[in-house]
Amino acid sequence: MPPTTAAKKALVQGKTAKRAKTSAQRLEQDDDLEEWKRSKQLAKPKDQLELSDAELKESIARVLTTTNPQQPDSLVEYNHKTGEFVVLPTTGNLVVVFERIGTYIHKDSEEARDQLIAQGIDLLQQQLFQACTFEQKDEGEDEISTQMETIGEVETTDEEKHDEEGEDDREKEEEEEGHGEGGEGGDAEDEHEDEAKGEEGDEAASKGPQKKLTNQFNFSERAALTYNNPVRCQETQTTPPPMATFSANVLQWVIYDAYLEDYAAQELEKLRERERKEKEKVPVAKHPAVEVKKPSGRAQLSEAVQGRVLECWKVLERMLNQNTYDEIAKDYRYWEDPSDEFRDEEGTLLPLWKFVYEKTKKNTVTDICWNPWYYDLFAVCFGFLDFMKPSTEGAVCLFTIKNPSYPEHICMTDSGVMCVDIHPKYPYMIVVGQFDGNVLVFNVQATCKKPAFKSNAVVNKHTGIISEVKWAPDLPDGEMNFYSAGADGNINNWVLMQNELSVTTITTIYLDKDPVPGPDDLTFTNNTHLGSASCISFHPKEKLIYLVGTEMGMIYKCSTNYSSMFLMTYQAHHKPIYRIDFNKYNDDIFISCSGDWRIKIWEDMRPEPLFVFDVGHSVGDVKWAPYSSTVFATVTTEGKVYVFDLNVNKYKPICIQAVVSKRRNKLTRIAFNHKLPIIIVGDDKGCVTTLKLSPNLRIPCKAPKKQQYLDQWTLQCMKLEKLLSLVREPSTLTVPTDTASSQAS
Amino acid sequence: MEGEGKEKETEAKKIVHTYPLIRHSDMAEEVKQEVMELVVTACEKHSANNEAAARMIKDQMDKKFGPPFHVVVGEGFGFEISYECKNLLYMFFGGNLAICVWKC
Repeated sequence: MPPTTAAKKALVQGKTAKRAKTSAQRLEQDDDLEEWKRSKQLAKPKDQLELSDAELKESIARVLTTTNPQQPDSLVEYNHKTGEFVVLPTTGNLVVVFERIGTYIHKDSEEARDQLIAQGIDLLQQQLFQACTFEQKDEGEDEISTQMETIGEVETTDEEKHDEEGEDDREKEEEEEGHGEGGEGGDAEDEHEDEAKGEEGDEAASKGPQKKLTNQFNFSERAALTYNNPVRCQETQTTPPPMATFSANVLQWVIYDAYLEDYAAQELEKLRERERKEKEKVPVAKHPAVEVKKPSGRAQLSEAVQGRVLECWKVLERMLNQNTYDEIAKDYRYWEDPSDEFRDEEGTLLPLWKFVYEKTKKNTVTDICWNPWYYDLFAVCFGFLDFMKPSTEGAVCLFTIKNPSYPEHICMTDSGVMCVDIHPKYPYMIVVGQFDGNVLVFNVQATCKKPAFKSNAVVNKHTGIISEVKWAPDLPDGEMNFYSAGADGNINNWVLMQNELSVTTITTIYLDKDPVPGPDDLTFTNNTHLGSASCISFHPKEKLIYLVGTEMGMIYKCSTNYSSMFLMTYQAHHKPIYRIDFNKYNDDIFISCSGDWRIKIWEDMRPEPLFVFDVGHSVGDVKWAPYSSTVFATVTTEGKVYVFDLNVNKYKPICIQAVVSKRRNKLTRIAFNHKLPIIIVGDDKGCVTTLKLSPNLRIPCKAPKKQQYLDQWTLQCMKLEKLLSLVREPSTLTVPTDTASSQAS
Repeated sequence: MEGEGKEKETEAKKIVHTYPLIRHSDMAEEVKQEVMELVVTACEKHSANNEAAARMIKDQMDKKFGPPFHVVVGEGFGFEISYECKNLLYMFFGGNLAICVWKC
């Protein structure tokens, strides 16, 4: 650091010069000292030499040499290896008296540069800056030394005082001495180091803008006070958890009684459960296979829950249907065809809901039957009439008009169902006759999955299609029984025993043909021709009497009491008779329909029909209306419904309406509702259509003015009687002999 | 005591019921079953020491449903308590023990 030391030197020299200036003053001071000394008695040691003046004035020259007298010369050391003394080299005359390592470093040194960079001072920039300042001052290069900074400088207050005194002088001296000291800077450094320390402050003061040093003593802190958010109080009071009090007394007898009570309750519950199970079993118990052990505990509970859920769903389904079919429901309830007024004698049918079950779409509706108890419920048989294409399964579905979308109950069977009847007293007991000759009895209240009764497929069954089944009044001991007519010509009576169906063949229908002799004349066998019953109808009043229609077109009037003979035989039709129906008001009148396109109305014991109607197509079904004695309706394979009212027109139907497409569908069955002015018709595509009868089709009888007191029933009977008397007349005229017979009947 | 018990049995020929019988409870069904099982376990474990049984029930209840529960196990006592709704079970067990568990 040559420039710096040079500066220091200048300062020192400046001071000596100052002293020289005041030498005159010093002389005076010496004199004063002499005087002061004289006045004082100097203390001296006792053994001090007393020297004479001459001796005192003698000058003794003292010479300082660089040799150290203390230092031993010719040091030797015995060397054991060589076995001789070896002269050691002299240690030299240098004695270090004091040594101190400074904290200064040279500015241009590597270390200093690193430090400067670390402090963020750009050397290059600084040099530029310095160069600028020099030019301004028009001063020599040497000046750099004065501008240079000393690293690690410490300012002291004392030194500052000095600065103030001799600042002016110093600056001048510095300039002067700068020239000579360029070279010797390096040597002088050591000598002046200590001195320079003290003087550093001066230099620092005279320098340009200082760099801020960061160390533990030199730092700055900054802080800012932010807003304090205002404090807000919000409180809420919750309701305390609900509390209740309870008190009881525990005594041994209390505990004992509680147990007894609970045990009794449990026993009662068990008893009830048992009873309920038995009750459930009753209709189904006939088949031991049905007796499935009820799952206990949780499973049972879940079953109950499922049942309840099912109920909820059913209600919901009905609500949805009610919404979906709202218009139809309103039509059903309120629509009365207003055009009927202007179309006297004729009426129309208004189609309402259609009932289809997805699984039985391919089947034909072979029979439909309204439930006698629930007016909105009806049973539909799904089988097949096209015997070239037999279907493997059938079903009985119970629909309600409250839910047109899905059957209320579905009883699937393994063979086509051909006919159905619902017990008038127990509306949940349903008997069906199957294509394979078996009869099934379902208790839909208990289960639809399994029939409660089933005929034995091997011994107790018809050997042909069952064409019709009919419940009969209960036997005296309360057993239910029904009749069935089969294509094998048998009319059977089935009784529902405790565990099985017992069957009795009431009669077998034979054709009125001579027995065919056997191949061998010796063994004369009577191969009589069996007729096949295609329908059966019981007399509404006389429970013994029934009519049987056959495939050959004959109607036999039979009695259950006589199995071998018929009370009457009507040569009714030329093709199979599909239905015989007794009039609802007059028991002597019945109607029949057949595949020979004809509908005939008969009177009991009269071999000729009273009325014959030809509708041009095979007639699938005919039914008397329950509300009128003269109204009946038929369906044809053409897909049309015919409604006749004999009172209005004896020759033509008062309504012909195509219900289904003529080409694709055939109508098979029809049924009047007992209560409502609606009919249902079934077709061969498994679809059942509901139709509402227009007002003209159900005109009630007007009582004559003289006989206002008569009720509707009597009026209806009178109406029919009047009509019959009209048609009976011609027959008596043409065939007088017949009159007697008819009168007799 | 033994004699008496026998006498009673012989004269009435009645079965001594020991099954847990819930007398009164407003707990949820699942909780009720759980507590009942706990009570049965505790009473069977400490059949001779009602206090220990009560402590066990209380500790378990505190752990399971959160404190503070109170439990009384005894053969004869009377009580009137106020409890936090849905947290009361009063039952009999073993034919002669009454257990009352409530939270308050």
